[in-house]
Amino acid sequence: MKDRYDVVVVGAGPAGSIAARTAAEAGLETLLIEKRQEIGSPVRCGEAVGRDTVEKFIARDPKWIAAEIDCFSIYNAQGDHVVLPPLERTLVLERKIFDRELAHSAAKAGAEVAVKARATGMIRNGGGVEGVRMVVQGEPRDARATVVIGADGTESQTPRWAGLKSIPQLKNYYTAAQYLMTDIDVNPRICQYHIGWTIAPGGYGWVFPKGDKQANVGLVMWVDPKETKTAIEYLNEFVAARFPGKSILAQVVGGIPITNVLPEMVTDGYMAVGDAAHQSDPLTAGGITNGMYGGMFAAQVAAEGIKKGDVSKKFLKKYEQMWDAEFGKLYRRLLRIRHAVLNVPDDRLGKMIAEAAKLDARKMSLKDVVMIVLKSHPKLLLEVVPYFLGQ
Amino acid sequence: MPTTTSVAARAFVAVDYDHCSYCGACVAVCPPDCITLHDATLIVDTNACTLCRRCIPACPTGALTMVEAVA
Repeated sequence: MKDRYDVVVVGAGPAGSIAARTAAEAGLETLLIEKRQEIGSPVRCGEAVGRDTVEKFIARDPKWIAAEIDCFSIYNAQGDHVVLPPLERTLVLERKIFDRELAHSAAKAGAEVAVKARATGMIRNGGGVEGVRMVVQGEPRDARATVVIGADGTESQTPRWAGLKSIPQLKNYYTAAQYLMTDIDVNPRICQYHIGWTIAPGGYGWVFPKGDKQANVGLVMWVDPKETKTAIEYLNEFVAARFPGKSILAQVVGGIPITNVLPEMVTDGYMAVGDAAHQSDPLTAGGITNGMYGGMFAAQVAAEGIKKGDVSKKFLKKYEQMWDAEFGKLYRRLLRIRHAVLNVPDDRLGKMIAEAAKLDARKMSLKDVVMIVLKSHPKLLLEVVPYFLGQ
Repeated sequence: MPTTTSVAARAFVAVDYDHCSYCGACVAVCPPDCITLHDATLIVDTNACTLCRRCIPACPTGALTMVEAVA
């Protein structure tokens, strides 16, 4: 490990590894640090991604694909469900292998990768950032960097160390729990979503097949100080009702900001990407490929700035503009859809799903299904339809 | 004068390590940045903690509880 780099990336999840790889490919001296002892572990999510999107970043490889998904089905709390027409082709990943492959690709591009290397602070200069303070295998170390990219995930601290406002309001935060379960009888090509306040208040439950009769069974719910049950308690009830007596091979928990992105994702010499920048989708809280885009955009702008000798906040804002051009409109709409859905009474939402369950939805267009189901909810319809029309 | 060594002389947030899964959900919502996540250790700096309680409902496993002050 050297004392000085062009770019130091904090956190070796998908966003950080893509940032490091992009920076290294641009010829920059790049360091990628991971606080855990093993990249990809512990797994942090439901592992579903759009196939075509992920393939923009890495050639597909069966070793990190657990399942290929054709369809989605939406359930209400009573178990009525509608199988939707095929949307985007989806993969369920083996994140442990996937994350390590991405870090490997960063290393192959020339980035230096280190584990058990925890950031403890930023080297500041006035309002800006000039490097990272770390503990590497127990030893305090500093690394100076022209640009620091914070990819330190949902538990991120680098944005606030860099002086950005990054603490989510509780109402814009999901708390989440998931089990990897085995010996489960589910269609291995369908991802299930379960909606209802008794299942996951303000959020949703999911069953994502992982092949070989395994599945990720989890839920996200909103954070409410008045709530008496924890996410894991809701999950235990969900599992007891649907998969009683089945074995649990792993437990995953965490929090996810769903605020839409940070109002400012950069400052002088610093950029936040992925969950550190709140780049998870504000409706589903999915964030893998979104974070990878964030990492790529940030590193591209960092490379341009370093070549020009300008890594000021003003220049790095170009990254925010790139993000906004790709995701801004979509995220603002998804946030509005989320708020609109939250305002639909629970029994009404359940009835809408029961109504849809009667349709032979797989033979219809998704737009037609949505139009029929939401005809009694003009407000929701107004928000949702343009989304499906891609506007 | 009460000594600062008496347990719960002041309220504090306690971590139940049988429940904590070291996910960091609490770290992100802590305004004074007083929670530190190491590999498999979560530390709450009780001196910096403002007792705002935001971390408690954010925890997916219910590992955080407020221990009230002894009168």
